[in-house]
Amino acid sequence: MSLRSLAPRADFPLLAANPGLHYLDSAATSQKPKAMLDALRHFYETANANPHRGAYALSALATDAYHDARATIARFVGVADADCLIFTRGTTESMNLVSSSWGGAHVGPGDEIVVSALEHHANFVTWQQLALRTGATLRIVELTPTQTIDLDMLRDVVSARTKIVAITHVSNAVGSITPLQEVVRIVRSRSAAVIVVDGAQAVPHLAVNFDALDIDFYAFSGHKLLGPMGIGVLVGRRALLEAMPPYQFGGDMIEWVRDTDSTWNVLPHKFEAGTPNAADAVALAAAVRYLQELGMDKVRAHEVALLEAAEASVRALPGVTVYGPPPAQRSGVLSFSLADVHPHDLATILDQHGVCIRAGHHCAQPLMRRLGVSATARASFYVYSDGSDVDALVGALAAAQQLFATVG
Amino acid sequence: MTTVAPVSASIAAMYQDALLSHHRAPHNRRVIEAPSASGARKNPVCGDEITVMVSLVGDVVQDVAFTGRGCSISTASASMMTDAVQGLAIGEAVALADAVDRMLHPAGRSAGAQSAVEALPELLTPLRGVAPFPGRHGCAMLPWQALREALTGKR
Repeated sequence: MSLRSLAPRADFPLLAANPGLHYLDSAATSQKPKAMLDALRHFYETANANPHRGAYALSALATDAYHDARATIARFVGVADADCLIFTRGTTESMNLVSSSWGGAHVGPGDEIVVSALEHHANFVTWQQLALRTGATLRIVELTPTQTIDLDMLRDVVSARTKIVAITHVSNAVGSITPLQEVVRIVRSRSAAVIVVDGAQAVPHLAVNFDALDIDFYAFSGHKLLGPMGIGVLVGRRALLEAMPPYQFGGDMIEWVRDTDSTWNVLPHKFEAGTPNAADAVALAAAVRYLQELGMDKVRAHEVALLEAAEASVRALPGVTVYGPPPAQRSGVLSFSLADVHPHDLATILDQHGVCIRAGHHCAQPLMRRLGVSATARASFYVYSDGSDVDALVGALAAAQQLFATVG
Repeated sequence: MTTVAPVSASIAAMYQDALLSHHRAPHNRRVIEAPSASGARKNPVCGDEITVMVSLVGDVVQDVAFTGRGCSISTASASMMTDAVQGLAIGEAVALADAVDRMLHPAGRSAGAQSAVEALPELLTPLRGVAPFPGRHGCAMLPWQALREALTGKR
């Protein structure tokens, strides 16, 4: 098929160097544009010093670069109060921060924490363990037959006992997009719970506006949206963040250290102990600007077009099961299985055709149990994906089926 | 119209008929009632799991069987394993598991030395096809690890 990529492949050094590669694992991590890599290098070559420390011009340069990166990323996700955007190592650390700090201070025996069966382990185990630690109860909202969150069950489960509702914006395993407005309406009408949203698979693919969502915490990772590995974000409401105890202790996060106690720095620094990851923040801001130039509406439309084409071709193969709702209600994820070929075998065979897909439980074992499978195959698309990727995927799937059909 | 891509030689070598026929019709996939010992392993990568049961007479493996679901590599490996260790002493069966492990991860490969090709029972020959695919070594070893656990009590 002739669908062109939205972003030129020449902008992505790894893809440019490997023209035969069909990278269909962007839900795991995205490829990196030269603009982002250049920004990373430029920071180290021109502004490298420890932010917030030195009383010299170079340190001020680093501080400014870090500050500007935060402002750029905050605007991108609709956060007017940029100091409420905390840099973390990624979504996983963001969730651990909320669980440990807010959860540790507010959750106890008799309380309930609500998650869905769709969650990535980072947004499931975190709350499961908080419940075990505090004597609270973990309630799991089950799914509809097309793996979206069952809103009727959510309505039944959320009550005055609910302290936290932790839910994904987009499923990493099957791509379902959660109707967050509905979720928020239900939760707000029945409880005073804080709403924590896992945006790891949403921010790369959809226009997100935190301030308009009426939620309490939102987390995402940089490396899935063209940024470097090792940096992510937690956004929170100012009143909550200010009342929360620190998550880690050390340099930068303190205001005053006395022999017997200490006081804490203001936001965002209270939650950023140690030397900040300024270089990766600057690089992530460059990735964000790259996406803004493409336009998030166009990113979304491009992925839906690819997904519809891929799904139609894959469904035409014999013995295929596709998981999740229809393409228009999914991010760029095609999660499927073939009747006769285990996903792990499929991934190995596809790799020999230069097609990189993920095979496994996608860090979503609760979901896999409900699907009745140990694993699925997942192809995921992004701005550099094009029609040739879809053709290669479908051709290699047919080859795998042929290989498994011709012997035994 | 779907164009079927050609299959590469190394893939064809790994998924040779022998391996796939074990996958299609695995030997000894059944339950041993009241086994002398059993071991269970999960592959954390893909969520596959396998349980190996053995029936011992003295220290000889009189019967061995497995249950569980897995990919073609782990299923075929389990099937071949049950054929290969039947009638072996515990020590011999554990040594065979170690030999399969070494076949997949030859010592000294990183140092550039080519280790001698160790003898394996002929019926395990299809497993050699897995060696060039490091991402699948865990699949091939899964049943052998469960066997080792059953026979030694150690993971």
